[in-house]
Amino acid sequence: MSDNMKRRDFLKGAATGVGVGLLGAMGLYSYSSVRKGHFPTTERKMTDIGTCRSVKVTNITETSWFDNGVLMGDIKGAGGLLVNQYDYNWPPFGNGKGLGKGSYEEGIEKIKHLLPNRLDEAWEIIEGNSVHPENAGGYAALVEVEEMSGNKRKFLLDVGWSYKWCDECFKREGIDTMLENKEIEALFFSHEHFDHFWGLPVALKYDPDITIYIPEGFYPEGLQYIKDCGHTGKLITVKNGLNPVIPGMASYVFAIPIICRVYGEQSLYFNVADKGLVSVTGCCHQGIIRFAETAYNEIKYENDNCHGIYGGLHISPFDDWDPKYDDLVISLGDYGFERIGCNHCTGVLCAKKFIAAGYPVVEGTAKFRSKDKAYLGNGDTITFG
Amino acid sequence: MERFGEGYLEERKLVKRWSGPIPALVSLVLTLGIFYLSWWIFQDPRGVMRMYTPYVGYMYCRWWLIMMIWMVYIFNYWPFKRKWLENTHPLLKGAILTTISAVILITLIKGFFEGLLGNYGLAYFNPEQLEKLPGVTSFFAIEYSALAILMFAAIASWLSPAWVVAFEEAPWQKLKQPAKGFSILMLTFFLSMVVYFVTMHPHMGILYHPWQYFTSIAPPYWEQFADTVSGNFHISWIMCCTVVVWLVETIWERYPFNLIKNDWARRFACFFGIIGIALAMHFFLYFAQELTWGEAIRGTRRAFAPDWRWLHVGEMAIFFLVPALFVTFYCNNWPKKYSMPVNVLIRTVVTLIGAIALYIVYYKTSHMFLGTQKGFSHPQQFPMIPMIWLVNIWLVHHWFMDNWPGWKMVQKTAEEIDADHEAHQAAINDVRWTPRFGAGLGAGVAMGVLFYFITVWALPSVYAAVNIIPGK
Repeated sequence: MSDNMKRRDFLKGAATGVGVGLLGAMGLYSYSSVRKGHFPTTERKMTDIGTCRSVKVTNITETSWFDNGVLMGDIKGAGGLLVNQYDYNWPPFGNGKGLGKGSYEEGIEKIKHLLPNRLDEAWEIIEGNSVHPENAGGYAALVEVEEMSGNKRKFLLDVGWSYKWCDECFKREGIDTMLENKEIEALFFSHEHFDHFWGLPVALKYDPDITIYIPEGFYPEGLQYIKDCGHTGKLITVKNGLNPVIPGMASYVFAIPIICRVYGEQSLYFNVADKGLVSVTGCCHQGIIRFAETAYNEIKYENDNCHGIYGGLHISPFDDWDPKYDDLVISLGDYGFERIGCNHCTGVLCAKKFIAAGYPVVEGTAKFRSKDKAYLGNGDTITFG
Repeated sequence: MERFGEGYLEERKLVKRWSGPIPALVSLVLTLGIFYLSWWIFQDPRGVMRMYTPYVGYMYCRWWLIMMIWMVYIFNYWPFKRKWLENTHPLLKGAILTTISAVILITLIKGFFEGLLGNYGLAYFNPEQLEKLPGVTSFFAIEYSALAILMFAAIASWLSPAWVVAFEEAPWQKLKQPAKGFSILMLTFFLSMVVYFVTMHPHMGILYHPWQYFTSIAPPYWEQFADTVSGNFHISWIMCCTVVVWLVETIWERYPFNLIKNDWARRFACFFGIIGIALAMHFFLYFAQELTWGEAIRGTRRAFAPDWRWLHVGEMAIFFLVPALFVTFYCNNWPKKYSMPVNVLIRTVVTLIGAIALYIVYYKTSHMFLGTQKGFSHPQQFPMIPMIWLVNIWLVHHWFMDNWPGWKMVQKTAEEIDADHEAHQAAINDVRWTPRFGAGLGAGVAMGVLFYFITVWALPSVYAAVNIIPGK
């Protein structure tokens, strides 16, 4: 055999062997328990965000829409869950052209001159030009933080969707007066979704000067809407990651893609004295367990204990279901939350599964169009601490 | 004797109309143009039909792929005769065959799945049956049934070509069409159904509350191993199987299984070898995510959830298919001048580089033109859909249209066909056991293992340096 032949044979063998060795290692090693030795050991940062004495959350509105079938019919008709939310032709951006043919520019043009003070007139125009304005509700919550000194500070989390519904809810809970009296020091937006963000003029009608915190990831339409609504206060774009607000309170922004072309979510952490971590969320698209794990890795909280949850957990917002949601129902117990006040996009089915699993779900009163007592419904409150 | 399309793909000679890479580039530009136009018409959330809801578009996309595999690989273009295939203009041929594939596709989905199975067997195949359940909206009824139908497609798109590629159409290889086609179709459809029931049916069985214990195994048997009750665990390895079948058939030329002389030993080795290689991919691509993003957390959502990680394995696998098919369809399976193992290795490296580049480009830019969003883990966004849509267009172009206009189809002479067979056999015979081959094999295995561990070591820092989605 010539040297050239030998070399060629060696190369053929080597080329074959590389594939065999690589695939063998991939198959045998990659999912073995030994692989865990490669995972980086993440040092807990234990960032001190301070402590507060208690957190009280008032549910201004959690009913983002009143009829799931109607909303999903709109989503289906417009082309599904990836359609840009400003294109659905939902209120307040109706242009009169019908489902799926909306645009921010055409919609806002019809009502911009009436914002934020003449909302009744604006809503009349909106009703004539939008798809299913009667189905719009909204999500908004009042968060009252009691500092260790006993001083109480108020914040809004989101402002709902329908001008008409949200104004009713604001008045019902006295939010209008609080805003007028400048008792509420800032408005936090969890994310840009229609049912959390589009009711902004209702808040600005009573306090156009309020400081607004938005998560990184708002689209140009959303940023323009804040201006078009007549906001005159400070607008703070919160970067991804941890953002301490006051002692015992911090927000955290997750860079995640969300349905209807929305990006980024901001949720709130509280460290309640003697109790532990409290999570307050708009939709929690990042997942409550990711939120809890992030807290574990990032911040220091009392007794290293997960104490409470309030808000939407985005499990089955449209009464849909998926086996991955069962993963959450099965796993949430491992985190030891002691009080769970869930509503909105958690889904009634999910709340019932939580109750069936024996989790400490705080039941509501099912008032003001909230569907079920498994939810912490409209007008209900929950206090941690 | 009447001939249909048996051997048509091997016996046609595609002659470049222009020299160098121009035909490949023209084909790429043309097919990307068709891709984008058809994407806008059928799939794009901003477009005309907006089928990317996402599951409806995915279902049609996936089954269309199988329709073409059935028509070409299983039925050998039957009932079209060889003369028609040779003499009809590629544009007309493409239009007629594509239309037929679409008609069969709609008949299968509306008639067989929704009409027959959905009305008389399993309610979840039919949206109208699902809508009768309390709390299920029309939108999700359609999505659930599309999900079930496309899960079947995922399995069929592995098993249908696998019977041709691995089992070489046995035991019906000598049958005439359509008897051969129907035999393979029946068997692969039956096998797909068996695999569907033991992998995907339990996933569907826990979609409704309470879990459907009486009709499906709940919780599913894979829960502890996969760290999720979701059927995405199976989507993952089945997607890998789908991709590996085509790697074996195209850039690997069925190597190394073609070295096995005994027919049935070779066939079984190839069939189960494809599954073995797919499982290796399945586990490694999951591990790669753990190395770059951190350990999965059961019960959470998006990028950290085990169910999404398994799904993303399938998504990553599909990125390998696109460059592999491009090398075969438009680069004449370059290179061909070395020994078969070396050619295979070079093509694999090219495919790997292409897959990584495509992955980065897709996640960096696709949201700018597909009507999707930036980010990895959008729950309703699957890169499989645009990737398979592009592959479908390439299949139309390569199988139905002879790569027109970059290439001209010329039928090979009998001598050329014989010479091809001899050359192929010679390339296989050229790889034989010698002491040097054995030494090379040993050295290669060591290099492969070493390369694996270097990859494992380097992956976290390389991924961090690339920064595919800023701000993630």
